[in-house]
Amino acid sequence: MNTIRLSIVTPNGEIFNDDVKTVTLPGKEGEFGVLPGHASLVSSLSVGVIIIEKADATEAVAINWGHVKVSESAVDVLVDGAVSLTHGEDSSAAKAIEDAKKLVNSVSDANISIAAVEARINSFA
Amino acid sequence: MANLKDIKTKIGSVKNTQKTTNAMKLVSSAKLTRTRQLSQQARAYSVKINDVLSEIANRVNKVQDGGNTSKSFLQNDNPKTVDIVFVTADKGLCGGFNMVTIKTVVKLMEEYANKGVTVRLRASGRKGVDYFTFQKIDLLQKISTLSAAPDYDKASDFIKDVVEDFTSGKTDKVILVYNGFKNMLTQELKVRTLLPISLDDVEANEESSSMLEIEPDDDEEVLNELTGKYIDFNMYYSLIDSLAAEHSSRMQAMDAATKNAKEKVDALTIEYNKARQAAITTELIEIISGVESLK
Repeated sequence: MNTIRLSIVTPNGEIFNDDVKTVTLPGKEGEFGVLPGHASLVSSLSVGVIIIEKADATEAVAINWGHVKVSESAVDVLVDGAVSLTHGEDSSAAKAIEDAKKLVNSVSDANISIAAVEARINSFA
Repeated sequence: MANLKDIKTKIGSVKNTQKTTNAMKLVSSAKLTRTRQLSQQARAYSVKINDVLSEIANRVNKVQDGGNTSKSFLQNDNPKTVDIVFVTADKGLCGGFNMVTIKTVVKLMEEYANKGVTVRLRASGRKGVDYFTFQKIDLLQKISTLSAAPDYDKASDFIKDVVEDFTSGKTDKVILVYNGFKNMLTQELKVRTLLPISLDDVEANEESSSMLEIEPDDDEEVLNELTGKYIDFNMYYSLIDSLAAEHSSRMQAMDAATKNAKEKVDALTIEYNKARQAAITTELIEIISGVESLK
């Protein structure tokens, strides 16, 4: 299967590094999806949720701010803060969602979009 | 010769000191392991941000023919105002660790002052703050809780003013001084020019930059944002590096202190035994001479 390497790093460590089928990123000028073989691109990311589709599962990661560098075979995401929404078991999932909301709310200067992002986060509850 | 009780008290006190220093050594070695883990996690980010920044910087510079580079990259050989940001530990008892940094800062200050450059100091770490306050040298900015517990958000808060002053033209150059971790036995003093960023630091990577599309279209904006992140991150990383070095330095200092204490105890024990034997001999002579006189 055709896949692309996705890595998400924060200053406190790498939180995701795996081959994925497609990834959807919250770009500053609108959401965009990346498939394997995408043209090289650097973009700013705004607060939002990264949707990762792997061969057998879908994962979501909430971010507050960042940059992405896309090349044909790899996607590197640099973010300040990120919370994985789908990793933990039931008990920790609620906490992850709580953390994600806190993270998103700490971004003060984008009030309109935050509600939308929170709604997305809730959909993973 | 000191009396027996005095020596015994001394041995006791040295042994207590030895216990303390040994405990401090163990604490530092545990903390060192944790700090090095942090630094390894941060390294992944460091590699990526260097990569992205260099690509964008190269591209922006190319578009502008290298003539009108963004101020953050423009090398300035004759700065008028220089900010020195330095990191020391919050605590002492770690050998020459803090002094090395402080001395370098003082030397840099003198060098620039001789050239007629205004120098402003920004300090993180209580030891550095204390030193310069005692010398009555003004510190523009000081924070004394960050060094012991590096935190990305706090680090970027700390460096924010520095970047603002640089962008608004108040300063022409920002130098970062800290004592970094080299290996378990040595620390390495690092003096880096934080701003302007020299593109040699950010490794040049020519491959795909011509193909690169940048979104939003405003290259400068993306570059400026990334530059900010790069600075924040470097500040954070230097704090971690400095903390790791502090712990390794303290480990060594405490190891040496424990060894010294052991030697001291040995020497005191010998002295004690000698004193004891002398006392016994004196007593024996007294008894024998007493018996002799009765004959």
